[in-house]
Amino acid sequence: MNRKNKFKRKTLPALAMAGPVSLWMILFVTLPMLYIIYISFMSRGVFGDVVYNFSWDSYKTLLDTTYYKVIVKSIRAAAITTVLCLIIGYPFAYYIAKKPKEVASKLIMLIMIPFWTNSLMRLNSWLLLFQTSGPINRFLQNTGFIDAPINFVYTDGLVMLGLITSMLPFAVLPMYSSIEKLSKSLLEASADLGASRRTTFLRITLPLTFPGIFSSIILVFIPSLGIYTVTDMLGGGKVLYIGNIIKNQFGAIRNWPLGAALSVLLIVITGLLIFIYTRFAKIEDMEVL
Amino acid sequence: MKKTISILLTMVLIMGIFTGCADKNTGSGSDSGKSGSSKELNIYMWQQYISDDLIAKFEEENNVKVNLSYMSDNADAITKLTAGGGQEYDLIMTSDAYMESLIKGDYIEKINFKNIPNASNINESYWTAKEYCVPYLMNYVYIIYNKDKSPVEIKSYNDLIDPALKGQIASIDGARNLFPIALIALGYDPNSTKESEIAEAYEWLTKYNENIVAYGNAEQNLVNGTASVALTFDGNASWAMSELGEKNNLVIADFEKDPVQLGFDLYVIPKGAKHVDLAEKFLNYITDPQIMAKNLVEYPYSCPNDAAVEAASDAYKNDPARDFDYKKNVFFQEDVGEAITIYNDYYQKLKVGK
Amino acid sequence: MRVSKIQKRKRWQGLVGTIYSVAIYTILYIPVLVMMIFSFNNQRYNYYWNGFTTQWYTKLFTNSAVIDSLWYSVIIAVLATVISVTIGTIGALGLKKYEFKGRKFVNNMLYIPIIVPEIVLAVALLIIFMKVGFALGMGSILIGHCTFCIPYALVTIKGRISGDGYSLEEASLDLGANRIQTFINITLPSIMPGVMSAAFLSFTLSIDDIVMSNMLAGSKSSTLPVLILSMNKSGITPDINALTTIMILVIVISMVLNKAIKNMLKKTKNTEG
Repeated sequence: MNRKNKFKRKTLPALAMAGPVSLWMILFVTLPMLYIIYISFMSRGVFGDVVYNFSWDSYKTLLDTTYYKVIVKSIRAAAITTVLCLIIGYPFAYYIAKKPKEVASKLIMLIMIPFWTNSLMRLNSWLLLFQTSGPINRFLQNTGFIDAPINFVYTDGLVMLGLITSMLPFAVLPMYSSIEKLSKSLLEASADLGASRRTTFLRITLPLTFPGIFSSIILVFIPSLGIYTVTDMLGGGKVLYIGNIIKNQFGAIRNWPLGAALSVLLIVITGLLIFIYTRFAKIEDMEVL
Repeated sequence: MKKTISILLTMVLIMGIFTGCADKNTGSGSDSGKSGSSKELNIYMWQQYISDDLIAKFEEENNVKVNLSYMSDNADAITKLTAGGGQEYDLIMTSDAYMESLIKGDYIEKINFKNIPNASNINESYWTAKEYCVPYLMNYVYIIYNKDKSPVEIKSYNDLIDPALKGQIASIDGARNLFPIALIALGYDPNSTKESEIAEAYEWLTKYNENIVAYGNAEQNLVNGTASVALTFDGNASWAMSELGEKNNLVIADFEKDPVQLGFDLYVIPKGAKHVDLAEKFLNYITDPQIMAKNLVEYPYSCPNDAAVEAASDAYKNDPARDFDYKKNVFFQEDVGEAITIYNDYYQKLKVGK
Repeated sequence: MRVSKIQKRKRWQGLVGTIYSVAIYTILYIPVLVMMIFSFNNQRYNYYWNGFTTQWYTKLFTNSAVIDSLWYSVIIAVLATVISVTIGTIGALGLKKYEFKGRKFVNNMLYIPIIVPEIVLAVALLIIFMKVGFALGMGSILIGHCTFCIPYALVTIKGRISGDGYSLEEASLDLGANRIQTFINITLPSIMPGVMSAAFLSFTLSIDDIVMSNMLAGSKSSTLPVLILSMNKSGITPDINALTTIMILVIVISMVLNKAIKNMLKKTKNTEG
């Protein structure tokens, strides 16, 4: 009787509510990921097919310095993007969060709308704008600032611009949400107690919005580690990052076990970084918007 | 934020009205693949490679629906073929370099040429694996350059690593497109399988890489002045030249000795294709000289269909992009077997850099 | 005296903030503007500006392939949003409220799609679909999109659930309302802002997705981003720009219409009252 009651009161609703998401995650995340790990221990057939016999080959390949270099380079680029997005995004998020709610939600929407158009098209726009015979070069030449056109396209600078414009919203949204939650009275109290604005910011605002900053870091850092369209389009395909390399293994090069091993490595690295980070910062949940 | 949903709904409604207007001419001849004659043809090929008008005409003449979907890489086609592509496609475009493996792996069907009489228009000397494929268009991979801007007059592949060209070359990409030119420049077989030679080619390519401004988009970069030299296909060169029109200052490199790559894009029927009858009809349609000639107006690539070239417009025949005299001095991409992993390793090393 | 100084400083700060934000919005919207301008470019591919034409708009309405793919993208995005937000909402409540075996595991799994590069998840799904013989097409893309939208939706909503909602729910249950009534009348309104944000985020993630859609697309049709990706080799034709321009206009019109309808409703309410 009691047991039945408990089932009805507790187990059934828990199953109904947490069930679908658990099932979805197990079917479409856990299983595929396990399969990726499994494939990473297989070997590659002549024609790029997966041959199902156990081998360490893929992981041995990873010991090659080439991959070490790519990973270091990719992490560095992603880190720079993240830091720049945070520096640019925090004041922006702060500005929006201090607006009345009605206005703020409109401003947030205004950030997202460009993302309803296609990202490749937006990247292409930068190329059209900055290319040798493009409007910016022409303007600079006509006004006499420069004699010969500057080569903006296919440079690291343009790649960075592309990365930042693609990632900025994902930095702004979580920070906006945590700044918005800050209670005004706390800040006022701090000011009343004679704290300088700088002290208030460093001692109160920054620590309290830390969960938002943490989410921003994850939402910017991880995708920029894996993104390959920006470097392909704006970097001219000269430099490969880890995202390109993985994509190539599953595409042009057709070495799925190696691609899988690289993926596993990437998951381990990002997982480790996040683990250390959460331990260090004592953060439990992340927030997005 | 509260408005989001209602705005989304309004948007969807408006989109619905908007697409409703344009939808009329697609018709509804979708799902039917029963016995008798097929009503639907699924083709997987390159984007921007066949005239929309010709597809529409084929649909109208045969009262069928043609579904075109596009690859963004040659490997996409191989992935589809090896993963049982016949389930989804009736025709897949691939290139001559893959034919040997595809036949060996039993991934493609033999083609019944009785139903494709027009195929006799295709020049046999270009046709490898004749029983299994129908060549569509072909590409020379050669060098063109801007004669006013390029500091070097290019006569061989070795001229491409001249430091004077730093940051000026736009190039096609891919291990099996880049390594052959390096191997030729070094005097080796372009389809070499020897690691020592490939390693040397890699060293050569690191110098080539120094001179690259961008991989891909060669014609765009030539036309807008970002690059002054390009390693590209003749069809793309043709676009660049015609885009510049009167101002055309692009010339084809005058190669004295080095051969250029010639590659074919061809249609194959994947194992287990469901609408083979219609696929054959389509192959016969595009090998019709008059039809192909029209296609060449829009897509001015080199064509192995001699009768179609004969029937093509004067503009096509006199295209400056095909006016070079070493057309016979070509090499083909061959299956390199296991050595492909050596190529891939060095290719990655090249792209990763220091 | 001091007050006016503070006011001055505040005004000055507001101005700096406004200029800063306008600059950021400008950078975000410049590519969109360029894209719109080049929809009128008289050139086969967008290499550079080559004179004005409206031919791409006419071409757009005769070439339904491009519009079909947009329609396909929108349908997928709407479905993905609805599914992700539904599963995300009840999942967020369930995971927050109930203690059960494996909760921690599911919680951790949720972070995988967020922290794993999309290409890895896409390939993993592709392999699984091929193994079990699941035909690629709208279903596979939809599953793919939901797989990365659900975690974002759930995490967003979870952040908006506060502990004090529980007592209200208990009260509602004690007063004889059943669980579904309680959910609709009490729980849902309290987390509505989070649900809206989640919907917004899911739609944005889905409509602009390339990696997942490219891997999981079938033969019949592809989403607009995948179509554009395949064009990228030879060049993007201006009819895509035309399409995007129309999309932007549709969004703007929807917003204006939405506002106008709301105002009208308010007015009629006022006159009635």
